[in-house]
Amino acid sequence: MFGVLYAAPGSEPATLIDIAREFSPRIEPCGPLEIAIDLGGLTRLFGTAHEIGHELRRTAADRGVRVRVAIAGTRTAARLIVRHRAGVTVIDPGTETDAVAPLSIALLDAIAVERTMPPHRAGAMATPVSGPPSNELVVTLRRWGLRTLGEFAALAPDDVAARLGQEGVAWQRVALGQDAQPLVPAVVEERFEQALDLEWPIDGLEPLSFVLSRLLEPLSARLERRDRGAAVLHVRLHLVTRTVHERSLQLPAPMRDARTLRTLALLDLESHPPDAAIDRVVVAIDPTPGRVLQFSLLTRPLPSPEQLSTLMARLSALMGEGRCGSPMDMDSWQPGAFAMKPFAPRDSSDSHSIPVDSMNAAAPPVIALRRFRFPVPARVRVEDGRPVRVTTDRPGVSGGRVQTGAGPWRTSGEWWSEAGDAWNRDEWDVALSDGATYRVFRERDADRWFVEGVVD
Amino acid sequence: MANPAVAVLESALRERKLDRTLTTALPPLERTDPSAVAGTGTAALDAMLHGGLPRGQLSEIAGARSTGRTSLLLQMMAAATRRGEIAALIDTFDRLDVSSAIAAGIDLDRLLWIRGDAIANAGSRSVEAHLQVRLPNNLRDRALDRAVKALNLVVQAGGFGLVAIDLADVPAIALKRLPFTTWLRVQRTIEGSDTACVLVVPEPLARSAGGLTCMLAARTSWAGTADRSRRIDRLDITTRIVSPRRRVDGEVALAAHANEQCSARLAL
Repeated sequence: MFGVLYAAPGSEPATLIDIAREFSPRIEPCGPLEIAIDLGGLTRLFGTAHEIGHELRRTAADRGVRVRVAIAGTRTAARLIVRHRAGVTVIDPGTETDAVAPLSIALLDAIAVERTMPPHRAGAMATPVSGPPSNELVVTLRRWGLRTLGEFAALAPDDVAARLGQEGVAWQRVALGQDAQPLVPAVVEERFEQALDLEWPIDGLEPLSFVLSRLLEPLSARLERRDRGAAVLHVRLHLVTRTVHERSLQLPAPMRDARTLRTLALLDLESHPPDAAIDRVVVAIDPTPGRVLQFSLLTRPLPSPEQLSTLMARLSALMGEGRCGSPMDMDSWQPGAFAMKPFAPRDSSDSHSIPVDSMNAAAPPVIALRRFRFPVPARVRVEDGRPVRVTTDRPGVSGGRVQTGAGPWRTSGEWWSEAGDAWNRDEWDVALSDGATYRVFRERDADRWFVEGVVD
Repeated sequence: MANPAVAVLESALRERKLDRTLTTALPPLERTDPSAVAGTGTAALDAMLHGGLPRGQLSEIAGARSTGRTSLLLQMMAAATRRGEIAALIDTFDRLDVSSAIAAGIDLDRLLWIRGDAIANAGSRSVEAHLQVRLPNNLRDRALDRAVKALNLVVQAGGFGLVAIDLADVPAIALKRLPFTTWLRVQRTIEGSDTACVLVVPEPLARSAGGLTCMLAARTSWAGTADRSRRIDRLDITTRIVSPRRRVDGEVALAAHANEQCSARLAL
């Protein structure tokens, strides 16, 4: 015997699950507002099916949730009935087909929508169906003149299979109120957390690494047993000053290797150390389904996310935050404008779409500029409106006489912005007597010269 | 052997069985496996190198300013990312121009850019303030030290098709102060891997036995006669390749062209 709870729109899915768990551990969410419960054996606790139904409704009302309840011998029948009738409905075992026969065929559409839509959208669609059906099968059945589930169920299965295929036969079983598969109980989400109270406060990262290893190894083993990976790693350090130093690491991919997690946590704490000695260490992990790897024989494998995240953490600790990543072009004409983003290379299987010819194509090099991130102030002698000598005080950029010059190219921009990024300048490319070619510019507002970079 | 002094030295080393460090004493490497090389993206250079840069070896691009070192490096990185590999650039003094990287055709999503310190007085642009900061040696040495450490981290992580470190603006004296074991350690790490490692240096520094040295010289060609109509047309690069174990020793001429954005600029 199965019961189905169908909550009013706007109800909290988690509350609905809590209500169902109070009655049975064998529950299966069918949508954000719908949950199936295995009621087998509950009659000895609560009484008849009617009494169970009313108890379910009462418990939900105590939690502030309005629900419909349907109890039947099959989940499918209960799901169909609960969408049709309010209150508590109990279908006697063996009469499911007769009970669902008068129901509208549009109910198939409602079930189909919830099966295919993502949960957040399915919640919005969970109201009784009134608009045009989105399921092509229902459209076809309506075109045949069928209006109720009973009329669909009455068709010969062989004819249905001949015209609609196996999918049609499966939907006909639904119209008969039969279950296609047994109930798959939802597993309680396990909490992955370990804590350790220290007898003596510890100071410094080295002793902490041993503590973290001790906490992370059992967590990693539990994650492996559940085929889960860590999506977020939380480290809470209770300090002797009665404050809590908390760090959360968003991991780029699910991982459960204890050594990698410990290294990442330590590298993060190296950049953000606690203010005082540590009394208690708590490590918590937000789990996520494990990662499935499929390697290819045709492309070189990328480093694993564990390796990449460890590398990036080490590089950030060495070079500083925001100094490592992938460059990104900006929607700006400002010379040298760029942005940084995290290094996250796409899977090389994408390169299957690249023609082999273009992958191996050889093209002539393009002249590059070596840009001084902070332009080097320069002294420039100008004759007849053109620079004739460029010198700087920067060692290695001594400058010299201009042998060939090209310019000026005048650019300006961001003068409308209040951020102070405005530029207004004349650029020159100059070949100097020191043998190098430079790009220099004059700031027109301040009438000052700078070396922007070297053509190389 | 052209130099008799070198020949005498080599024979003396052989007598004492110390000749294993001589590249000329090792048998030449025959490269028949195309997966053992990383194409540079330049047909003439690839033809001379029998396919490209050797993987698992330390190679170098050496040259003075404006000899096309950066252009050639970006070309190699573009070729690596086109093949679906990932590339890393350790930019010791933060000199990469992102527009040039885009013009070269690098897939930026596949480029790990590790930016060193841009040594200057950030925020101030006056000559006087700049003079006060004047590249202290300890700052420069710290940037170099960090860059070398970053290189070690990247090659140890593995998985990169091309790893380059830009030491082009590091003074030769600072480079020579680095222990030579620095480069031996890098070589040992990448040996047998698919990573081609490239140093960009002002003069030859640390090629591994199986690696190669590209020594560049270039001449800038200008188009147009008057200042206002003139523009950089191309960079005629002469690349001398030295790689004794690979039996490559010769010159190849390349031409780097101005990118379209530069060519399209209009003078006042």
